[in-house]
Amino acid sequence: MTQSAPLPATVAASFGKRHPLRDLAGFAAIILAGAAGYFLFPDNLALLTRIIAVALLVLSLDLVTGYCGVASLGQATMFGAGAYAAGFACVHGGVTEPLTLVLVGAIAGAAAGLVMGAIMLRAHGLAQLVLSIAIVQLGHEAANKFSSYTGGSDGLAGLSVSPLFGVFEFDLWGRTAYLFGLVLLVVVFALLRFVVSSPFGVLCRGIRQDPVRVKAMGASVFPVMLKMFVISGAVAGVGGALAAISTQVVGLDSISFELSANALVMLVLGGLGSLYGALIGAVIFMGFEHTVSAYNPFHWLTMVGALLVAVVLVAPGGLASLLDKVPGLGRREGGKP
Amino acid sequence: MNVRKLLGAALGALLLGSGAAAADTVKVGIIGPFSGPFALQGKNFQAGVEAYMALNGKTVKGNDVEVIYRDLPAANPAQARALAQELVVKDKVQYLGGVYFTPDAMAITPLLEQANTPLVIFNAATSAIMKTSPLVVRTSFTTAQTTTPLGKVVIDNGVKKVISVVSDYGPGIDAEGAFKKAFEAAGGQVVDAIRMPMNTNDFSPIMQRVKDSGAEAVFAFLPSGPTTLGFVKAFNETGLKKAGTKLFAPGDLTQESDLPALGDAAAGMLTTFHYAVSHDSPENKTFVEAASKAIGNPAELSFPSVGAFDGMHVIYKMIEATEGKQDAAKAVDAVKGLSWTSPRGPVSIDADTRHITENIYLREVTKQADGTYINKEIQTFENQKDPGLAAK
Amino acid sequence: MQTILSVATDAFAYGMVLFIISIGLSMTMGLMRVVNLAHGAFAMIGGYIASYVARDLGWGYAPAIVLAVAGTILLCAPLERFLYRRIYGKPELLQVLLTIGITFCVIGITNYFFGPTLKTIPLPSVLAQPVDIGFRTLAGHRIFVIACGIAVAAALWFLIERTAFGIKLRATVDNAAMTDALGVRTPTIYAVAFSIAVGLAAFGGVIGAEFLPVEPYYALRYMVLFLVVVTVGGAGSILGTVVACLALGAIDTVGRYLMPEFGNFFFYAAVIAIVSAFPRGFFGRAQ
Repeated sequence: MTQSAPLPATVAASFGKRHPLRDLAGFAAIILAGAAGYFLFPDNLALLTRIIAVALLVLSLDLVTGYCGVASLGQATMFGAGAYAAGFACVHGGVTEPLTLVLVGAIAGAAAGLVMGAIMLRAHGLAQLVLSIAIVQLGHEAANKFSSYTGGSDGLAGLSVSPLFGVFEFDLWGRTAYLFGLVLLVVVFALLRFVVSSPFGVLCRGIRQDPVRVKAMGASVFPVMLKMFVISGAVAGVGGALAAISTQVVGLDSISFELSANALVMLVLGGLGSLYGALIGAVIFMGFEHTVSAYNPFHWLTMVGALLVAVVLVAPGGLASLLDKVPGLGRREGGKP
Repeated sequence: MNVRKLLGAALGALLLGSGAAAADTVKVGIIGPFSGPFALQGKNFQAGVEAYMALNGKTVKGNDVEVIYRDLPAANPAQARALAQELVVKDKVQYLGGVYFTPDAMAITPLLEQANTPLVIFNAATSAIMKTSPLVVRTSFTTAQTTTPLGKVVIDNGVKKVISVVSDYGPGIDAEGAFKKAFEAAGGQVVDAIRMPMNTNDFSPIMQRVKDSGAEAVFAFLPSGPTTLGFVKAFNETGLKKAGTKLFAPGDLTQESDLPALGDAAAGMLTTFHYAVSHDSPENKTFVEAASKAIGNPAELSFPSVGAFDGMHVIYKMIEATEGKQDAAKAVDAVKGLSWTSPRGPVSIDADTRHITENIYLREVTKQADGTYINKEIQTFENQKDPGLAAK
Repeated sequence: MQTILSVATDAFAYGMVLFIISIGLSMTMGLMRVVNLAHGAFAMIGGYIASYVARDLGWGYAPAIVLAVAGTILLCAPLERFLYRRIYGKPELLQVLLTIGITFCVIGITNYFFGPTLKTIPLPSVLAQPVDIGFRTLAGHRIFVIACGIAVAAALWFLIERTAFGIKLRATVDNAAMTDALGVRTPTIYAVAFSIAVGLAAFGGVIGAEFLPVEPYYALRYMVLFLVVVTVGGAGSILGTVVACLALGAIDTVGRYLMPEFGNFFFYAAVIAIVSAFPRGFFGRAQ
């Protein structure tokens, strides 16, 4: 919330350096993990697709929170904008081509990001956090209110998405949805690695650490941050569109405080400011939640709570920071396998 | 960089831990809110299911019935779809049941045909769900179904001018529409219709509106749970009850598990609903006994339990008709027109809509000799279908 | 005119309810610099104890309040010693993670032991009766809540501004290391301040139970409301919290009276407007 929150040393050290080899290794790891998911859990692809959609949301949150130091409890505004835009386009606009729907979602998300950034960047710290909450609540209310378009609390149902490239259907087994989502995730991740290591990304991190000094250097803070908000919104919008396409229903939960709060928890759990942490957080949190809630559907919440407390005590830098502590596995060694 | 793979494998070990299927076991997947803000309703699902299995055995024609519960704490279509898919594809369930919220049902119905699996809805109460798939059967109620008889009741109580006050979400708006239609058809007038935000904590300003409107009675709809308490209390404390304004509502507002908390504040309230725990019949007595045992604390028993109980009855009949083989169309055909005596009274599955036809009762919140409160049935509207479906 | 007065009374009463349940959070967030999302969980624990004492044991309302406050402080003392002490002065997001974790645990445990039904705290007959205040009737417990709110505000102001403990607390907040060097036992100061905040949460949970009924999900259901109120007022400022509660109570009540279907729009639009105009809250401490 405040700009002065200290960074874990390793994350700080990795800032501002380009490691093309390391990035390649990172992509390889994501693709391998994705393929492993496909072959290890062929019966859980809908869950894995949901994890990917949420991972995109958490990634987008990392852009503003991890890289710009703006904590947000309203990130689902952009996710919901993407989901509902894709839903509208499909149900009311007759657009059924999945790639177009994703594009629609990204644009809507970016627009929501623009509005959200313009409002949130006027404040700092706690006030900023509360602004984000107010915005997502307003969005939620609006979606509930215009129920003739959004279906309100009954959800926007009846998205019949045509097969991908006219061949691969979004069906019960969810193979298409999963692989589609995985490709989206890898592409987005690659673009984001490029963005955060570009001069623009470095400037954002500079602002996070010391906005006054950046201003003194002659850079203007507001437009830079706003740009990051727009990018972040587009990413979240892609996640929302993916959720809409794979579920065929858009519910009010996609633009809720609860989803936003969950995303923040996942991000902090995984570790801020490295993009990898966002992925790790989303996979671990949702995988853990799914496992314990299947094990005991009635009282699993206690176990999730215990996990969060344990992580704070054991790995206050997030789970991604644990990787750095294991010799030979750290992200710093990632470039020379 | 191999860590992600390791993590994946570790997660895999966790996820795959739930074992393989036995040969002639028929599995039933129940999705409901077993934790979170609606945990009480989920607990009632479970109580209804367990009561049915305790009374009717765990085998149908030699097929063992196994129930798998999956938690969906709040409306979340993406999660609903993921759970349904996992139940069908991985756990190989032949039947899906439960579902508390409409959007979740909407996310599951597109899967049914491919999955060759019927869905028996224990609660989700929007009319439109039934049209999304021919493999859906519903054993609960719709808001329009429980609300419509109230129109006549209000007129019979000598009230001509009513203000409608509902929670601003799908079922609330359904209730507002259904009541207005029924009440105006019976010759009444709705002088004002107010929609309150879902997260209203202090209802005093709403009550002030009621006072200003000059209506003789209030028609109210709120989802069952904590907010009903604040609503009913505010109704009393602002002096409306004392001034003689009457309060009518569908039975969601006075579900049995909320009555100990509502207590005297709700005494005398008239509601219409499909089931009261106090319903006087031998079937209900057996049911309440078994369900109380299943739920642990009898005070927690409420209407979703009977939806689940009858839902299991429908599923058992389906298993019987298909002899344990997976054939969704045959299973659904077998229960079309099925009629039986439920704990709530005589019911049947409408052959066209696959929605339950049932009696709707007018009840009054009454204090018993031992100081507890019940919904006492005082009038019966027989064989009510869902007017929401008929209208569309 | 009568309607205006009547709505104004409702607004004032609701504002005081908000105050009494959020002032404890304002203390932890403003004075101890901990974003304590488990505040609602503490309030809920208080509510459960009070319900047990007043309803199940039948000991009455006053003992229920006292035991609820004392019991919640006792239950939460180990939390302070073993968990909160590790996050003082740490990044806020880490505090968010820990306190959400604690909240999840509390919800799960409460649901397990007490079940998911609503718990009531029976009021004594004096407070349960509507009281005639001239132009209308007002529920007795609302008057009680208003009185409690004023008393709590006054007592807290005195404690923080006028007592030796208050001076030590403020010094600890501003510069813990220096205060420590001056011989003040800062861990004790923090522990006491934490206990006061927990006690206030429990007190608010019990007194406010007529508005926000006690059930396991309480801890999360009202989290946003508490957070918004404290921020609008400026964390750590008693006066600010009072003003924020009255202002938000008024906006909420009037909005819900005039246009109930847009009630939430009013509320959150007002929050955006206020926070944009006063980024530190009405009377926030300079950072």
